[in-house]
Amino acid sequence: MSILHKERLLLDIKGAGNPDSLRSIREEEQNRLEAVLSSSPIMEWVEELNELQDALIARALELVMAEMARLGLGAPPVPYAYLLFGSGGRSEQTMSSDQDSGLIYENPANEADAERLSRYFGTFASTAVQYLISIGYPPCEGNVIASNPEWCMPIGDWERKLDGWFADPSWENVRYLLIAADARLVAGDAELAARWTNRFRRDVLGHPVIARRMMENTLRHKALIGVFGQLLKERYGETAGTLDIKYGAYIPMVNVFRLLAVRSGIRETSTIRRIRALEQAGILPSEEALLATEAIALFMQLRMLASERSEDGIRIVNGKLPAAKLKREWKAPLKNALKLCRKLQRQIERELRSRFGGR
Amino acid sequence: MVEMGLNAVWIMVAAVLVLLMQGGFILLETGSTRMKNAGHVAGKTIFTVGLISLVYWAVGYGFAFGGDAGEGLNKILGLGNFFFDPSISAAEGDAYPSSVFFVFQLAFAAVSMSIAWGGFAERAKLSVYLIFTLFFGSVIYPVIAHWIWGGGWLAEDGSQDYAGSTVVHLTGAMAAFAATILLKPRIGKYNKDGSANEILGHNQVFTSLSVLLLWVGWFGFNAGSALTIGDGFFAYVAFTTQLGAAGGAVAALLISWLVKGKADIGVTLNGALAGLVAITASCAYVEPWAAVVIGLIAGVLVFFSQLFFEKIRVDDPIAALSVHGAAGVWGTLANGFFATPELAEKVGVGQAGLFYGGGGHQLWVQFLSVVVCGAFAFAASFIVLWVIKQIMGLRVTEEQEIVGLDLSEHGSYGYPEALKKSNTTTAL
Repeated sequence: MSILHKERLLLDIKGAGNPDSLRSIREEEQNRLEAVLSSSPIMEWVEELNELQDALIARALELVMAEMARLGLGAPPVPYAYLLFGSGGRSEQTMSSDQDSGLIYENPANEADAERLSRYFGTFASTAVQYLISIGYPPCEGNVIASNPEWCMPIGDWERKLDGWFADPSWENVRYLLIAADARLVAGDAELAARWTNRFRRDVLGHPVIARRMMENTLRHKALIGVFGQLLKERYGETAGTLDIKYGAYIPMVNVFRLLAVRSGIRETSTIRRIRALEQAGILPSEEALLATEAIALFMQLRMLASERSEDGIRIVNGKLPAAKLKREWKAPLKNALKLCRKLQRQIERELRSRFGGR
Repeated sequence: MVEMGLNAVWIMVAAVLVLLMQGGFILLETGSTRMKNAGHVAGKTIFTVGLISLVYWAVGYGFAFGGDAGEGLNKILGLGNFFFDPSISAAEGDAYPSSVFFVFQLAFAAVSMSIAWGGFAERAKLSVYLIFTLFFGSVIYPVIAHWIWGGGWLAEDGSQDYAGSTVVHLTGAMAAFAATILLKPRIGKYNKDGSANEILGHNQVFTSLSVLLLWVGWFGFNAGSALTIGDGFFAYVAFTTQLGAAGGAVAALLISWLVKGKADIGVTLNGALAGLVAITASCAYVEPWAAVVIGLIAGVLVFFSQLFFEKIRVDDPIAALSVHGAAGVWGTLANGFFATPELAEKVGVGQAGLFYGGGGHQLWVQFLSVVVCGAFAFAASFIVLWVIKQIMGLRVTEEQEIVGLDLSEHGSYGYPEALKKSNTTTAL
């Protein structure tokens, strides 16, 4: 994308006065991106798409603040931070990713203040989620979303919550920690967000065993490659013959590098940056880092190709790629990438088992 | 006289074991199909076992084992002993009473019949079960039994099928094949684009238990086929049977695990049965190592065979074509490779296989009997079913199929509390 186009786009977004105009900007821009998908270097393309989403979300939150003022509720009484989780947190959104979000605000001074802040940010977050839905971001099915009071709290409560998850690493809590590991500030106060992520890092260091729990939690997603090096396709139903790129390639790779990054105290949230940081920290050999970068890029590309447009114009990504869409020249690289993924999975598994014991 | 008594007791025990295999078929077929058809699937087996008993007594046994046909006609079928009326005790010099032989043979015919039902499951009308049993029990099965066991032309050729890989299993499977072709796939099995859907059985515990019942019953099936206590050879037959079954179960689980990435329980169960089906022809003719190999190959074969039939859009809910058909063919051919000269001589049928210096002769005989018997069973079943289809139709209506055969054919559900009549149109 030309710098000129980018500047104009950002200006357009800045100038949008309501969610509907943001929606049309999004659609137009995504159409443009879709058209150049096959001719662009994939990681740059993903970056561009995610910059677009970030700018749209940030502008939507500004509109929410304006709406809050219009309703007579005023400006945010204390600093807040709006976080993205999931693919948004990793800067790996597709053209149809849903909202995974959370909201942190400054601690209240007293009980009355607590009630007031909770009401204000409750309304703020619900409005934000509504705006984002109308821009075209579906809500998170698992209810990991800022409008859920469990994900919209003052920083003190958040810190206690994180500590609680670490202290009791049940399956559900570990799932939350995996989500938290991908958190990224998209709008609001950077210092608040940093306090939260610092707490997370501190707790990881205090609970090294959490790495093993995280591994156990993510192990069920296996690379879709068989013992004979064959691709494991879906066998039944409307998706028979497709490759589950999302859960059989992309997610296992994300899991591997999230785990390595969390253990090593790396703060990056995108998989590609995690790989780079691990390489720089000397944890990942350069050769493997290069292969892993190529692998995740291929997975991202196939993931984007797996998106389809339904009849009513809404994009659907079920992450499953019809075998017919898999070009011949991708087959061998895909198999190699999946083998690498499987190798890394096993490596981590073995290492954590020997360190913390099996079960 | 003591030996005759012992033989009679052993055949009786074996006959009971084989009859009890019907319990296995009831659970196998019911567990592999849906709840809405459970009562029908289970109950119709009892009905058809009753019906085939009468038909086989009146007609079938006479065609299979009646000795009064002329020399030329006897090659094709037997005549005599219709409405079989055995003497009340064994005659002097008989190895066992003819009554116990009848009971034992009847149990085999009923097993072959129940194998065939796999191809009818979840969509055939109850009346079709009634009419087809008449033809299968009186002609189709008895003719093949006569060819190989009743002194017919394949017996003269030295075709080795100790306990019925071909006679019982392939025959049943071919009837199932004809039925599933004429009935077409169940509603919902295939999508418009040709991709298959998985229609899961409603109770894997039933299915597993059925395999154990069949496995145990198989000792009657195979070891019972010795018909005499003699020098204890029947125990050797039981021994190779166990090895074959074990090989099938183990190989099937492993191959599904390797190929699909997940170890498939259904395939494992079918693998055990395929091992049993395959060793059925060869249990008296092979050495222990060969029994293991025959079972292992059957386990792998059943896995790929299931994939194959699904791919060519043959909907076989119970995998009868793979378990009894493919493994039946393999088991019969296996004699042509693995039969040892000593054992062939001991049993007194045919000669050694390819790996024991017998050359290709036995393999050719085995091949011939598979092709001829398979073709006859398929063609005869197809013609009977095709005529039924023209006259009265084979399949229940679409609505009845969706509601379930429990309700459409019998008026009440096998699981009445689980399935309320008011919701009969919901997908079950």
